[in-house]
Amino acid sequence: MDLILPILRKEHKKHGYLSEDILKKISKKTKVPVSRLYAVATFYTMLHTEKQGKNIIEICGSPSCYLNGELDLENFLEKELNIEFGQTTKDKKISLYKTSCIGCCDKAPAMLLNGKAITNLTKEKVKTILKKCRS
Amino acid sequence: MQILEKTELKALKKARNLGPKKTISLLNKKGLTGRGGASFPTGKKWEFALKQKSKEKYVICNADEGEPGTFKDKFIMQKNPETLIEGILIASETIGAKQAYIYLRGEYENLKSKLEKTITKVIRKAKTKVNIEIILGAGAYVCGEETAIIKSIEGFRGQPYLKPPYPPVEGLYGKPTVINNVETLTAAAHAILLDNWNSLLRLFCISGDVTKPGVYELPAGIKLSEAMKLAKPKNPVKSVYFGCFGGCMPYKDIELTHDNICGEDCVSGSCTMIVVDNTRSIVDLAYVISKFFAYESCGKCTPCREGSVRILLLIKKIRQGKATAQDLNLLQELGEHIGQTSLCGLGQSCTNHILTSLKHFRKDFEKELR
Ligand code: SF4
Ligand code: FES
Repeated sequence: MDLILPILRKEHKKHGYLSEDILKKISKKTKVPVSRLYAVATFYTMLHTEKQGKNIIEICGSPSCYLNGELDLENFLEKELNIEFGQTTKDKKISLYKTSCIGCCDKAPAMLLNGKAITNLTKEKVKTILKKCRS
Repeated sequence: MQILEKTELKALKKARNLGPKKTISLLNKKGLTGRGGASFPTGKKWEFALKQKSKEKYVICNADEGEPGTFKDKFIMQKNPETLIEGILIASETIGAKQAYIYLRGEYENLKSKLEKTITKVIRKAKTKVNIEIILGAGAYVCGEETAIIKSIEGFRGQPYLKPPYPPVEGLYGKPTVINNVETLTAAAHAILLDNWNSLLRLFCISGDVTKPGVYELPAGIKLSEAMKLAKPKNPVKSVYFGCFGGCMPYKDIELTHDNICGEDCVSGSCTMIVVDNTRSIVDLAYVISKFFAYESCGKCTPCREGSVRILLLIKKIRQGKATAQDLNLLQELGEHIGQTSLCGLGQSCTNHILTSLKHFRKDFEKELR
């Protein structure tokens, strides 16, 4: 029996997202209907069915991060990137999301940059991250 | 720390010598209960699965800790993965499972390769027939719920389903399945091996308005003030939240036992404490936590899906200064109904924070009314 989630994750990693075409190909290989693959792909926040920016930033909005000044960073990110959460910058360099707790509450505020946790965030730190993402 | 003691495969050896039945009675005698929140006796769970006559059985290690404010399973996987793997092997061999999975939350992907290396190493040394595979989640709080994990591994949307049948009878692919979290399986190895194993020691995650956030191993029943001395609050403490789901209580120097915490209408669950100091409004916390639940509701059942959004809208209205006393009553009523009518633990507890903050901090809400 094929494990669907790991296959979806692998293809997601390869292509950056799961398009209809990609899902159809997976369906052919695994004999799992596209409808179900789509249902699974749209269930998890880390899987996307639309093309994403080169970098994905997900900032944690859960209580421990909130209590450590996350809200300021939210506003800062939106202003700096000139987009809202859930959107991608025009130059397709950065997609911006909010996430639930990522288990770094002892080093709050925290975010995931392309799946990797970055902790003890400050505006300065975020600025450097954005600079790297844009280059 | 007791949880970081290395068992060096001696616990597995002891369990093999004892055999399944005696291993289980030893666990029962030692009083190990689930550390994920439900506190179900671990030995009992294993016993149910052992009794099932099935060639195929599974063990799932729940490494999907997602409760905001909780990071102790990550701590264990980083500092003592060998003993965790040994615990998984003990569970598998005891119930007769040849396949085990670690369902690792997607946010912890960076732990995967080291864990895999540890698995290979331990399995080789242990000379076992059990295979352990890591499955990465992909971001869904509800997948900490055991039936949701099953659905997720089976390749469906990770949505909970109604129990019974309980997983030890009919779980993954319809086969008997034991699901325990990281801390429980690690503690199982300790409970079996160590004569002086202390069942009261728990891992507390303390974060929020404190200068020394972190994982602390403390005996259940410790005074809240003692725990605070360690975590060093920045200002006088106003309230402690037991994660997002456990509700909040006003600062009181109680002994942190299950019953005492219940007495404050809270649920201690996984020993998570988010400290909130007296510079905060509880309404703001209610907003943050309501956003969390509206976002994480899996959408399967109506009270939780629709109710979590209604709650969020009401809190928004309060924060905008447009709400009336009637809205507070509605909030209370919604909170009670959603809790009573939702399918899984997420929906059942998603309004604990509303009900407890209305009870203890109603003034904070009333201040913002129209
Ligand atoms: S209570 Fe909420 S999370 Fe649980 S099954 Fe219902 S909608 Fe999903
Ligand atoms: S609350 Fe942000 S990482 Fe846990």
